[in-house]
Amino acid sequence: MALAVRIMVVDDEETICEALKAWFLKDGHQVATALSGSEALGLMQDSPCDIYIIDVKMPGMDGIELLSRLKELHPEALVIMMTAHGTIETAVEAMKRGAMDYLCKPFDPDALSLLMERILAHKALRDENLALKEQLSEHHEGFFDVFIIHSEPMRKIFATIGEVARSSAPIFITGETGVGKDMVARAIHLQSERANGPFLAVNCGSLSESLLESELFGHEKGAFTGAVKARRGRLEMANNGTLFLDEVGEISPKMQVSLLRVLEEKSFVRVGGSQPIGTDFRLISATHRDLPPLIREGQFREDFFYRINVITIHIPPLRERLEDIPVLADHFLKRYVEETAKHLEGFTQKALGLLSTYHWPGNIRELRNVIERAVVIARGRMIGAEELTFLSPTTTVCSLGPMTLEELEITHIKAALDACRGNISRAAKQLGVDRSTLMRKMKRYHLARS
Amino acid sequence: MGSVDALAVSIVAANLQTVIGVNADARAPLPEPDYAFLPGRRQYTAGKILTTLESLTDSARFRLGVTQVDLCTPILGFVYGESQLGGKAAVISLYRLADQNLERMYLRAAKIGLHETGHLLGIGHCRTPDCLMNFASNLAKLDIIPLRFCGACEYEVARSLKHCFGSG
Repeated sequence: MALAVRIMVVDDEETICEALKAWFLKDGHQVATALSGSEALGLMQDSPCDIYIIDVKMPGMDGIELLSRLKELHPEALVIMMTAHGTIETAVEAMKRGAMDYLCKPFDPDALSLLMERILAHKALRDENLALKEQLSEHHEGFFDVFIIHSEPMRKIFATIGEVARSSAPIFITGETGVGKDMVARAIHLQSERANGPFLAVNCGSLSESLLESELFGHEKGAFTGAVKARRGRLEMANNGTLFLDEVGEISPKMQVSLLRVLEEKSFVRVGGSQPIGTDFRLISATHRDLPPLIREGQFREDFFYRINVITIHIPPLRERLEDIPVLADHFLKRYVEETAKHLEGFTQKALGLLSTYHWPGNIRELRNVIERAVVIARGRMIGAEELTFLSPTTTVCSLGPMTLEELEITHIKAALDACRGNISRAAKQLGVDRSTLMRKMKRYHLARS
Repeated sequence: MGSVDALAVSIVAANLQTVIGVNADARAPLPEPDYAFLPGRRQYTAGKILTTLESLTDSARFRLGVTQVDLCTPILGFVYGESQLGGKAAVISLYRLADQNLERMYLRAAKIGLHETGHLLGIGHCRTPDCLMNFASNLAKLDIIPLRFCGACEYEVARSLKHCFGSG
């Protein structure tokens, strides 16, 4: 089944509902039926469908009124009207109110088959359009940064991406924070046969277990306090596309079991629901953590690890591919020069030396933030060492000799705060963490703004 | 069911045996399905025939009716066959399969019989054009489909048979 959708059939004749349900089930779709307009409205509020097939003549609320109410609630819904007594007037009225097509009962098998093909193609095109819009917005947030490469290790990685993208095997990406694991995942998706489908990313580390469960599995109306209406989860939305689980090392063992079941059975049940929903997605996972020790400690399930780790791609940190630093720095410089309309021509040799000797714990994200800051404060035509002085303290720290991780973190946070003159938001950006994360660390280490 | 071409019944049964691998016995004909006649449409509603087939008391795991009458459903103007998805009963009609070339007609009957039996085994429609589980809405499409399942459906058939009968 290439594209399974949720369909609701609304007709006051039960035999019609059952016959259409049987037909659509054989096509692999999920089908709900309602014998009246009011029953349909109740059902669609709890669990909206993709396509509605509505009889025009029904006692109480007729099909045309239901169509209007439905379009108010779900403007994106695709609706086909049907009647046993079709007239041109009702057909025109239905189309005016947003119906996609109009069928006279009984239908010719060819007509129903062709209509469904047309509607599914329309839906696929619309979904693709939404996915492309989302991808375009991602491009502006630095999609191409990760592809500015010069070094041999990264060239090999991109050759691997080209080779593995077309398979459907799960991919496991490892690498430090800020190396661009999410962008590599997106690149794999764009080169895969699912490129026209959605790419959905979930940061597993930023959500509590219950929120992550709801985000992934979706929920039915009333599943928990606050679940005022049904919601589709990422597992459902990723159908025919790619699901990217970032920071997969943060997922609890309980959730790992649930996800393992989804990967085995290719179906799941929404939180608070009972109906299995089929889904077909390619899984890409990523983590900055070393999972084997977590497996030995019992914090990460071995079976889940082997299920998600069929093909591994390791992205080396920036300090291990120094050749990429000048090209990346130049790329960011051009971007921020364009944004700020400043006349900057490049970097002095001293500045390039400083950039190449720094150890870049925040990787590409940190380099980008550093260049952005340097562009803002630059006064001359070149970015010199004086615009990058805030890189020096950490370099010095490294040369001080052995330190605990905590001491190193304190020193680095202090340096970032000093460089940003106590501006926490800017310091957080430079460090490549959320503002709240930095605030929490400052509180823990009793650090003041300056 | 009723007056029907006995050779067509034998050919359908033989193909069930060779393509799917199930034992298919042709039983004594049932009476004409007059109970399913719809005077307004001058056709026979397939659903009622399925209910009758389902209620038969014999040891067969699946029942596939073959009829000469024109079948329809409440929504479709006609059907070549109808079945209960994952159920017990299916029916096919020879009415619209007729052709001057008898061999072609029997081949069409075999394909519809295999398709509906696939549904009995719980298999839905397949998007692969050259698969017996692809939905053929007209004879031109039906004639193009070869007498075989695609790899995925073949696997599903084997899996389902194993589930039903305990072996491939």
